[in-house]
Order: sequence, then C-alpha cells, then structure tokens
Amino acid sequence: MTDEKQITCIVCPIGCKIFVKIDGKHFKICNGNKCVQGIDYAKSEALDPRRMLTSSVLVRNGDWPLVSVKSSKPVPKNKIFQVLKEIRKKKIEAPIKIGQIIIKDVANTKINIIATKTIKKL
Amino acid sequence: MRNFHVGIIGAGVIGSSIAWELSKYNLNVVVFERGTDVASGTSKANSGVIHSGINSPPLSLKARFCVEGNRMLQILSDSLGFSLKWIGKYVIARNSDELKELNKLKRVGIENGVSGLEIKDGYEVKKYEPNLSCYKALWVPTAGIVLPYEYTIAFAENAAINNVYFLLETEVIDLQKKENGFFIKTNNGIYESKILVNAAGVDCKKIVSMLQEPDFNVYPCRGEYLVLDKAYKNLITSMIYPVPPKEQGVLGIHITPTIEGNILLGPSAEFINDSENKITTKKMMEILLKEGKKFLPNLPDKATINAYSGIRCKLSSPSEGGWTDYIVEESKKIPDLINLLGIESPGLTAAPAIAKEVVNIISKSIDLKEKTDFKVIKKNKKRFYDMSLSEKSKLIKKDPRWGRVICRCEHVTESEVVNALKNPLNSQTLSSVKYRCRAGMGRCQGGFCTQHIVRIMEEDFKIDIKNIQLKSSKSNLFYGRIREIDND
Amino acid sequence: MISLNVDVAVIGAGPAGLAASISAYENGAKNVLVIDRNSWLGGILPQCIHDGFGVEELGISMTGPEYAEMYIVNAKKLGINFLNKTMVLQIFENHEIIAVNNKGLYKIKAKSIVLAMGCREKNRWNVMIPGDRPSGIYTAGVAQGLINLYNIMIGKNVVILGSGDVGLIVARRLKFEGVKVLGVIEILPYASGLPRNIVQCLDDYDIPLYLNHTVTYIKGKDRLESVTIAQVDDKMNIILGTEKEIECDTLLLSLGLIPENELSKQIGIEIDEVTGGPIVDQFFQTTVSGIFSCGNCLQVYDTVDILSIGAKIAGKNAALYSIGKKERYRDSIKVKAGKGIRYIVPQQINNYGIVNFNLRIDKPRKSATVHINSGNIKIFKKKLPWANPANMIELKVNVSKDILKSKKDLEVSIDDR
Repeated sequence: MTDEKQITCIVCPIGCKIFVKIDGKHFKICNGNKCVQGIDYAKSEALDPRRMLTSSVLVRNGDWPLVSVKSSKPVPKNKIFQVLKEIRKKKIEAPIKIGQIIIKDVANTKINIIATKTIKKL
Repeated sequence: MRNFHVGIIGAGVIGSSIAWELSKYNLNVVVFERGTDVASGTSKANSGVIHSGINSPPLSLKARFCVEGNRMLQILSDSLGFSLKWIGKYVIARNSDELKELNKLKRVGIENGVSGLEIKDGYEVKKYEPNLSCYKALWVPTAGIVLPYEYTIAFAENAAINNVYFLLETEVIDLQKKENGFFIKTNNGIYESKILVNAAGVDCKKIVSMLQEPDFNVYPCRGEYLVLDKAYKNLITSMIYPVPPKEQGVLGIHITPTIEGNILLGPSAEFINDSENKITTKKMMEILLKEGKKFLPNLPDKATINAYSGIRCKLSSPSEGGWTDYIVEESKKIPDLINLLGIESPGLTAAPAIAKEVVNIISKSIDLKEKTDFKVIKKNKKRFYDMSLSEKSKLIKKDPRWGRVICRCEHVTESEVVNALKNPLNSQTLSSVKYRCRAGMGRCQGGFCTQHIVRIMEEDFKIDIKNIQLKSSKSNLFYGRIREIDND
Repeated sequence: MISLNVDVAVIGAGPAGLAASISAYENGAKNVLVIDRNSWLGGILPQCIHDGFGVEELGISMTGPEYAEMYIVNAKKLGINFLNKTMVLQIFENHEIIAVNNKGLYKIKAKSIVLAMGCREKNRWNVMIPGDRPSGIYTAGVAQGLINLYNIMIGKNVVILGSGDVGLIVARRLKFEGVKVLGVIEILPYASGLPRNIVQCLDDYDIPLYLNHTVTYIKGKDRLESVTIAQVDDKMNIILGTEKEIECDTLLLSLGLIPENELSKQIGIEIDEVTGGPIVDQFFQTTVSGIFSCGNCLQVYDTVDILSIGAKIAGKNAALYSIGKKERYRDSIKVKAGKGIRYIVPQQINNYGIVNFNLRIDKPRKSATVHINSGNIKIFKKKLPWANPANMIELKVNVSKDILKSKKDLEVSIDDR
C-alpha cells in the first residue's frame, strides 16, 4: 500500500514542501527539496517521525512549584500523548539536580524524562 | 447588622461622598454596591475634571453644586489626601463665530461666580501652550484635575474608617416601603433602613421602579476615551476644550492631561440602549485620534496605551437636546427616598456639595448629632516613585518590602501592593490594587507586575488562585493549576 | 545607601547580560556585577522550557533553563557577582547606577555599563482592538511565565493572535496540557515564526492557522466569551462580510516585542526609532560614552545564538573601556538603511576593521542581493537565496581606513536580482 505525504522541511527557513511516497518501509522522494539535507529530514519524518518533548513535573518542597523536563531523546510522534500523561501524573521531591532522571523508560519507549533545571529544597 | 438609619444605593462618587458626610454623625449607614469596588461605574470612567461652573446655566442645580463643590475641593484634598492639580483650561475658538460662544461662556461663568476668566489671543496662548494654535481662547484658571477613582476611594475609605458599612458585590434586587422606612432585598439578604438614598447612577430609574412607576426616563450616553503614553506629556500643560457642540448637552471631545502625566482624548457621545454596554469601538477610537490632532497636530498616531468608556446618565433624549438639570431631592411620592438623578458632568465636582445637600435633607427626618471621634485618615499618598532617595532608604529600613519593586513602569513596591490590598473596604481584585497604587497602569499594562500581584494575593492574603478577579465578580484570571497540588 | 564600586555593571541577567558579563571578565574586567529585577537569574530563559537554544552557538540543542544554568554556573565560577530581586531605578552619564532591593538603596559606581534589559510585549492597545474589556486576555510571554514558572492554568479554550514564535511555542504548550487551541490568527499572508515551529507546534496538532486574518472585536462581560476574526486585504484593511465569531475564554497576544529602554531614554541615549533600541557603533557602544547595549533591548533577535555574539562583543568592549583601553576613533560614519532595508545595526562605524552587521529587510523576497555603498563605491555585495523580515540577516563586512576617512555614510540596500 503506497502512501503519499507532503512534508514541510524544517532544516532551513525556506521550508520546502517535499512530496514523498512511502510503501511500508520503502521511501521515495518525488519532488520539492532544494538541497540534500532535505532528503534525510523528509525520510526520517515520513518513516519514523519523532519529536523532542518538553514539559513540567510537579515538585514538592522546592523553591519552584514545577521542574521543567525534557525527553532524553526524540519521542515517536504516536507516543507523545502517552508520555505526557505519565509526566502529568508524576510528583517529585526537591532537591533536584539538572540532568537527573525523573522518569525512567517513560511509556515503554526506553526514553527517559530528565530535569532541565536545578531545584533547591525549600 | 441589618437595620440602618440610612441606606445608600451605589458607591460611586455620589454615594461615597454622601456616605462620608453622613459618617460625621452618629448614624448607622450602609452602602450597597453591586461591583467589587467603589467607583465601579461611571465614577471612574470619565475625564477626572474639576469644573469651574462656566458650562451650566445660572440658577441651575448643576451650576450651584459645581461652584460650591469647586470651592470645597482644595480643603478636601488637603485633608483626605487625594491628588488635585489646578492646571486650568482653555476653551478654544477657531473663528469669530466660536468667539461669540466663548463670550457666552464667560458671561455665564461670571454670573455663576467663577473668577479669573479671561479671553486670550492665540499668540498669547501659544506662549504657554506652544503646540496649540487657535484664534482665541477662554482661560479658566479654576478648573482642575483629579484621579476620579482615587477621589472616590478617598471618600469611601474614610467613610468606612468612620464605621459606614460598605457591602460590595451586593446588588439591590427589590425594595419595599414600610412604615418608617424601607425593606431592601439584596443578593446577600434583606436589610432595613429609615432613609434610602438612590445614588445608583445610570441605574437610578431601575431603583425607583422597584417602588413606583418612574416619571422620568434615562438615556444612557456612552463616552469613549483613549489614554496616551506619558512620553507625550510635554505636548500640553492645561486642558483643551472645544466650544461645546450645540444642542447635545455634552462638552465635546477634549484633551485632558492626567495627574500622573498621561493624556486623555475624549469623551465621545453616543446614545445607546444598553446601560451596561461599556465597549470601545473602532469608529470612536479613530474619531478621537482625529479630533485630538485638530487641536494638537503633533499628536502621534501610536501613542495609545489604553482605552475605556463610561456611561452618562442623561435624563433627556437627543431629540430633546440632551440637557437636563440635576434632580437632588426627596421623592414627592415616596417620603424618605432621596433621589439623585441625572448626575452627569460636572458630577465629580458637584459631589461634595450634593453630599452636603443630602445631609441637609436627611436632617429634616433624623436628628443629626456630630460624632466626637470622627477620624480623618490622610493616606500616605507619597508613592515610592515620588520619594527622595533618603525617604526611600528610611522606609526600606522600616519595612524591607518597600525595597522590592514589582511594577517596572511605575516603580510600585511590594509594600504599596500589600497596603492596597489591606484597604478598609476589603476590595481585593487586580483592579482594586491598580486603582490604589497604580501597578498595572504603565505602558506595559501589567506585563511585569501581574505575576507579583498574583503572588502577593496568594501568599499574603490567602486568596485562592481560582478566585483572583480582574474587576467584576466573575472576571476570574485563572482556572486553577497546571499540576494539582493535592495533599496525599 | 549601600555603595559599590565595580568595573563593569550589567543590567539584566538574561542571555545577553550573562554572555556580556562573562566576556567582560574574560577581557580584563575583574569586578563584574550583574543586576536583575527577578528572583531568579536567566531572564526569560527559565520559562522557555522548550529546546532549540544553542544550536549554532554550541552545536547542541538545549532548553532555555539548561542554557541559562550553564551560563550562570560559568559566571559564578569566574567570580562574577549577582544582585537579584533588584530594580535599577536610574542610570547616569557618569556611569553611576541607583538600584533598590529589600536591603536598601544602592549607589553603584561603575567604570562602564552594559544595558541588557531585554524587551516587553506589545499589548491589545498597541493595535487598538475594540470591544469589551474582560479578563482572559494575556500576552503570550506572560501566559508562558504563569504556566511554566507559577503552575497556573490560564484558560481552557484559547485563541492566539500573532504567529510569532512565542505564540506558536505557547500554543503547543497549551495543547500538551489539554487546553483547546482554537486557532492562530495572523494578519500577514505568511506566518512570522520559524518553519520548525509552524510544523512542530501547529501542523503536528492540527491547530488551524488563519493567515490574512485579524481579531476585530473582543466580547465578554466579565471573562472573555468570544473574539471576532475577519479577513484582511493586501493593504491590511478588513474585508467586510468575512467576520467570524469564535467562542473562547482566552486570547493570547503574540504581537511582537518592544525593546525595553526606559533607563536609556532617561539619560538621553539616542534611540533608533525603527529598532526601538539605542543607536550603537560596532563595539555596541551607545551615544553615551561607556554605556553599551546588547540583546533584545538593542534589537529584537530571532535566536539566542546570534544575540550571544553581539552580547559578547558588548561585554568585551565594556571591559576594555573600564580598563581604559577604548577610545572613540575620530572619523565616524553613519550606516543608513536604504531601499528595502527595515533597519541595520550598528548604525555607526567609528573604527576600521571587520564589522558584524545585523539587518532585517522590509518584505519577503525570493533571491535578492544586499549592497553596501560608500558614496558611489560599492564595498560589499552578497546574494541571498531567500530573505524575509522574520529572519535577521548577518553580514561580515570589512570597513577599511579609506572608507572611514572618506567620511561618507554607508548605505545598505537590497534589490531583487
């Protein structure tokens, strides 16, 4: 089954609209890109779209009410809301060190959620 | 307490100044205000002008109360601590026809007892107002400016300190005459009073109709304003008015410097159906700028930092010419009901004189005994912004919160916000803070200070985040938390 | 009064102030003080919890808080001093600063000053949207701060006016928190944010983008109830009959940023009316000797990476000034924004050498050439494959001794060839 998609390239501000065809795991660029980097981006975006996720986790007894967090790696697009759901439920006690793992292997993605801020204990 | 000597409906400038006058006597007085603060209606949404008396026909109540009130203002400002500046007014004539109108105004003014009126040539005016070109102008030195919300708050808070009850967020929904007084039904229960003062402003007819068929009509007339950035405050020093437009009962779009250095353009005059419709319209905003530029061609296009509108309580329709005199009297049909109807311009000026008249009327029904312990609390009106370095240092030593500036544009400190929230009326919305200490009135319009005012409300005054209001009862700012802080 | 003597005083501990302070230290200023009005350091960075910071500068994509913490830790290690929760009330031409915090008033005597106060946001009245005045109207940055720093839910059904990056980032944030984002309204025929953000904040979440539209009316008695949007023509006039009312409880305004220059204006530092920031030379010195400006209070930058380059130059020169090593060159020439150029920084050149110019063009162009002329002589020319106002253009230009001696102003222009 062949799928046709239009992908807006984000590698540079031109934002070429690249047309691709996907057949299972096979990928073919039809047209639209002005450079080579666009091809790589379009391929990954078509076959395995992922996004860096950033959000906040509730902190207890810290000098901030929330600690900002990020995914250690880009998360598969279709898992974003599952990951966010787990992040929403989590509560963590201060102090927190920047880089500390807040949630390990979130939503079975093998990706961690890590703190992007240092929180002192109140 | 549910039973009072006097119940006042409306805590605008009229209701508040009456409350203050009455608070000098041994009386139980209550004020019903449906808004979350005093001056919720027209009393804060006007030009803030203290008029001289040139615009009202001699022997009218408007003239009488305006001139009387004008003469009381300086002493009131000195004792209650509200800001007052006698910046004077130019009424501009662009040609000889308009000069005839200036001469009329001067004659009326003199008859009303206004002093210092002078017709000046255009070149003379230019010496004082280099940005203003005109043929001739009537110079009115006894015209001044106040901050209408500060003015009203001064009366109301002083009344509250002298034991007047201010019931905010309390709307009068029904009235019943009883032997020797009234039953007053509100959304917060039933009260009784011997005397009832109808100071409900634009809704004065609604109040009367709760007791009898009103023999008058109210024609709400909306006035829109633009507030210009303080950066242009050097464009003018005094107020600039046109010759009053004919047959409209309004003063026309004029330019008013404010106490704090902003410039007001307005008001427009538009008769509307809904007395609550305080919108600002694209059409009027464009007209205000255009008219402003007619006086001051140097007026920049992009100087607006805010816009607002207020509703005049007019008792005559546009076809009837739009002008009526004040009605300040005990109702002929309902004894002990004192009606204050059609109190539009010069209402701010007239308020203290009207209040004295109301006390006079009440003295005929109740024996008034002066309090021996009447307090006058002059607020520490000096803002951090205006203090000298040594004054600032001293205050910070006493209270470190004077050192934390939370409003960048107006240099308002935490201490001032806390004091604003501790007001004797217990009004605690963002607007209550704004009108008492100016946080949020600068050119960034709350961009920096909002987070701090919210923090102080939450931490110091334990106001729940969901209950923080902008101004009216249901104008909540927030819906709760992003992450719930539950106790498990 | 608490008296302090410092070499370089930096006003603002955001990305510009932090970069400038470290650069000042590294260039000879040993006593560097950074003053900030917030309880935290990092300025706007702690609330920018999204990533994308430092890509060009460091080769990695950090989140705002991480970028901030990296700079703050480095600065503190070097012994740079910080005064937070402190508001600068006034600065003087002799480089004295009056500041205040809850310990009292400070009189800071600095040998040079770096202004890094950042910017504030345009609000409703800058574009005069008529209607009611209900609660529920926020600028996007304020909303972002309330959500990310204070844990406050500002609304449930949101419309965003303006497709700049701040608005787009907040749109995604809201979506992540279960808030309905009903649309992003943009008056221009193109979105002004980065394509990456259009894709990752709007397209990914099916948030409608209404181009050529604006908000014409706000309705709400107490809290916002609806906004009316309408289409505009190419002159940005409303096309009657295209009005559409959208029920919502929150309107976020992402209308653009205004450089914060209250302190600069107070002492008569000359301001460029187009950028909204001080007129500076290639050393980032303003028209008051010894006072330098960088970051968003100088001009609104697109990325923190480019902002950092300028901030470091400003910090370096503030340091050199403080140790007596900076003098104005006698021949000074102006840089004029000519055809097709909205603005260019720096606006003055007063020494020969390589100058880093930042400029923005007036409207989107496909394939254009930027020219710099000194009188009739063309001194620089660069072809650009594409250009639009939302992307700041950087140019490195060699300004020779002869060009300066000619005393002819430089004119920068763009044409579509």
